[in-house]
Amino acid sequence: MTSLSSVKNHSRRNFLKATSIGTGGLMISIALPGCAALKNGGMNQVDGQEQWNSNAWLRIDSDNSIHFVLDRVEMGQGTYTGMTSLLAEELEADPEKIDVSFAGVDSIYRNTIYGIQITGGSTSVASSWQIVREAGAATRMMLIQAAANTWEIKPNDCSAENGQIINNAEGHPQQGQNLSYGQLAGIASTYSVPSDIPLKDKADFKVIGKYNKRLDALKKATGTADYGIDTELPGMKYAVFTRAGRWDSQIKNFDASKLKALPGIEQVFAINKPSAIGIAIVAKSYWQARKAQQQLKVQWHESELDKVDDASIFAQYKKDLAEDNGKNVRSEGDIEYALENAAHTISDEFEMPFLAHATLEPQNCVAWAKPDSLEVWAPTQSPDMAQVAAAKATDYSLSDIKINTTFIGGGFGRRINQDFVAEAAAISEISQQPIKLIWSREEDTQRDWYRPSSYHKLSASIDKNGNISGWNHQMAGSGVFDYFVGEAAPAQYPFAPKFMYGFLESAGKIGEGIIAPADGSIFEGAEALPYDFDHINVDYKKSDSGILVGNWRSVGYSHNGFIVESFIEQLAQNPIVKQQGKDSYQFRYQLLNKHPRAQAVLKMAAEKANWGTPLEGCSQGIAIHKSFGTWVAQVADVSNDALENGQIQVKRIVCVVDCGQVVNPDMVNAQMEGGINFALTAALYGEITIKEGIPQQTNFHDYQLLRMNEAPQIDVHIIESDEKPTGVGEPGVPPLAAAVANAITAKTGQKFNKLPLKLS
Amino acid sequence: MINLTVNGIEHSLDVEADTPLLWVVRDFLDLKGSKFGCGAGLCGACTMHLNGNPIRTCITPVSAVAGQAITTIEGLGNPDKLSSVQQAWVEHNVPQCGYCQSGQIMSATALLASNPKPNDQDIDNAMSGNICRCGTYPRIKAAIHSVANKSATQNSDLFTNASVIKSMESK
Repeated sequence: MTSLSSVKNHSRRNFLKATSIGTGGLMISIALPGCAALKNGGMNQVDGQEQWNSNAWLRIDSDNSIHFVLDRVEMGQGTYTGMTSLLAEELEADPEKIDVSFAGVDSIYRNTIYGIQITGGSTSVASSWQIVREAGAATRMMLIQAAANTWEIKPNDCSAENGQIINNAEGHPQQGQNLSYGQLAGIASTYSVPSDIPLKDKADFKVIGKYNKRLDALKKATGTADYGIDTELPGMKYAVFTRAGRWDSQIKNFDASKLKALPGIEQVFAINKPSAIGIAIVAKSYWQARKAQQQLKVQWHESELDKVDDASIFAQYKKDLAEDNGKNVRSEGDIEYALENAAHTISDEFEMPFLAHATLEPQNCVAWAKPDSLEVWAPTQSPDMAQVAAAKATDYSLSDIKINTTFIGGGFGRRINQDFVAEAAAISEISQQPIKLIWSREEDTQRDWYRPSSYHKLSASIDKNGNISGWNHQMAGSGVFDYFVGEAAPAQYPFAPKFMYGFLESAGKIGEGIIAPADGSIFEGAEALPYDFDHINVDYKKSDSGILVGNWRSVGYSHNGFIVESFIEQLAQNPIVKQQGKDSYQFRYQLLNKHPRAQAVLKMAAEKANWGTPLEGCSQGIAIHKSFGTWVAQVADVSNDALENGQIQVKRIVCVVDCGQVVNPDMVNAQMEGGINFALTAALYGEITIKEGIPQQTNFHDYQLLRMNEAPQIDVHIIESDEKPTGVGEPGVPPLAAAVANAITAKTGQKFNKLPLKLS
Repeated sequence: MINLTVNGIEHSLDVEADTPLLWVVRDFLDLKGSKFGCGAGLCGACTMHLNGNPIRTCITPVSAVAGQAITTIEGLGNPDKLSSVQQAWVEHNVPQCGYCQSGQIMSATALLASNPKPNDQDIDNAMSGNICRCGTYPRIKAAIHSVANKSATQNSDLFTNASVIKSMESK
């Protein structure tokens, strides 16, 4: 769920060469992908049960139960099922019979793409495709060896099936008999991990590409999945935390005199730590703490944000971009020549709003400060960054902090920033007891790390025959990397003492774009423009608004998908270009000639949606965008009647996706459906506005989310592929707003330069 | 002391009268299936049944429901014995993050109990108070239709817990 542009280099040499931190960069991976990471954990005795930790991901117990340690979090995107399927495939076990638990912090679980333990960037399957399968395959090989030794036959005369090793040796007295994995675990635990671990051929897959169940559905349909907010500890108290409206404000003074007499109130105290500035109220129950908060009076110091609003922010973006193009992120041909010598040019500007994540589970965290250790239960997308955040907010060192993760009630990138962990840790340390911190919806909406707002200026050159020769895209906005590097950089160096964290953060900021890939949170999806023009130029001017920003489902692609596909539509509809006789689909198709996979996706979308023949009473729009390695094309059918009544009603979205090899087809469908409705929410409603430095929206009445009566019919089609798997959690989002906007433009002629879409 | 009947079981609780029912059920009765989403009756994650009708428990003071029959997600079924709606949710792979789904299932169950054959419009009307941030709406709708399409829906399908049915009937 993070931007962190793609990392191109994992080589050992690069690791040794790097002296500082990367961004999404964060690429400096200590846990090298591949079997080098697999280590036999041996046999352990726990509660009278023999347990074989065959490696960091897999444990087999003598009672024949199989336990998978999931090193990515489950926030709805389906890792729980997808990763378990990968393991089950190679282990030869029924996915439903595998018990799944969430991993704590360990460098072995680092995301091999980012070098920290993060669930984001739609990378889980892509980054674990190899290692988790190897973990399963190596274990199966060791179990087969154990069975072969027991029966005194060759491993080739054994086969693994459904948690059993079968004796296939012709004429052997035990031919046809089975030994269970649990029976063999003790013997297998004494073997070393094989050095050569062949993986199954696609033709032999029983689970990958075929399994269509969702393993966490049963828990989630019965209210028995434990989210962070459900954590319960003996003697636990409840905390609420009062923050300033402007995130950078310091406490001037506070008056809690009225709180002392209120029922259940135990403690009220101020905290002034990194990512945790405010007044904590600790009470016996949540409601007591929340009610008491109304009586608390806090005065805050003036802040640099006092005079900041959307108008001043966009004025700053424009001024900064006018003064300096910033960094060139793509340059082909000679854009100045192309624009100066064009028969025609067209130009436009786009303004994208701040967006809140609005995870339905509000931010929350349970922390238990004990004399020598701090234990945390957090719905976090990045447990090692949570560990750093807790260390920074307390006197505990990293090695004394244990992070437990839980099911997550929606992430979308929000839980990459760890402020809720810092707060809970600091509160528990001062309170000296276990506490559960719960944010209200209002707090969650007003203190988010928003999708950055941004300003974009585009121009294109057209020759006299209607061919597009050049494309220029310049943009300004905050980069999200600056807002999490303070936790991400130390997380890469768990042995660094705390006094070095400031240095690591600075080094990370300086290293961004130099020794590590650049923070693409504003320009990704723009710099990778897929259309075939002779002259292409893309510039990004970093212009920090001062408002907290973070990764928001599909990050930079979330706005660039809209901008690129809106401006391309303007080109397609230009009268001179139109003389060539191509419609919006044909125009794109021809310009994608260097991307056959994109053409296939676009073509299938047009076919499945009956492009050119909208649903009755509808108008159609089309868009395509690649993000996280995955191509997605969408055709929107929008109601004409509703448009005439001043409303936008999307009747149907046809969506075609090419994400390479598919692990669980229905999970891909679900992520496309979810991504579309998430993106439609943003297209119709999404906007956080800033006044005097304070985000203005508070709850679902003024930060609206799509509801069932507004949800369109969605038809998803997956391209068959043998290519390596790419992301699915985010790529459904970027093309949607443009597909809808283009459909409206087709009917009304109105073009859209801002989101959310507002009919004129 | 406030007397509460939750999933057919009576409780006597020492809790402030204005505490929302949601927090009483979650933190005093330790039934964690019902969720906190907005605190303002806007999202439906906290939905329970009061005498069979879906209510937003994050804004319902516990004193207002004393002595009446309250049903939570735990009162419909459990992983070993699913209600028909829960079964349909599993079959359609409805949940993603899953956080809203207890509330969705409570609203869907109340709909089917009063209208065993809802059409799309009925479903939209009954379900649009429940937000799903993951956007699982198409599957929720399909799951509700699949329950409706099976043979006559009875209370014993919608509520597998006998004491829940009894308490609903007696109130």
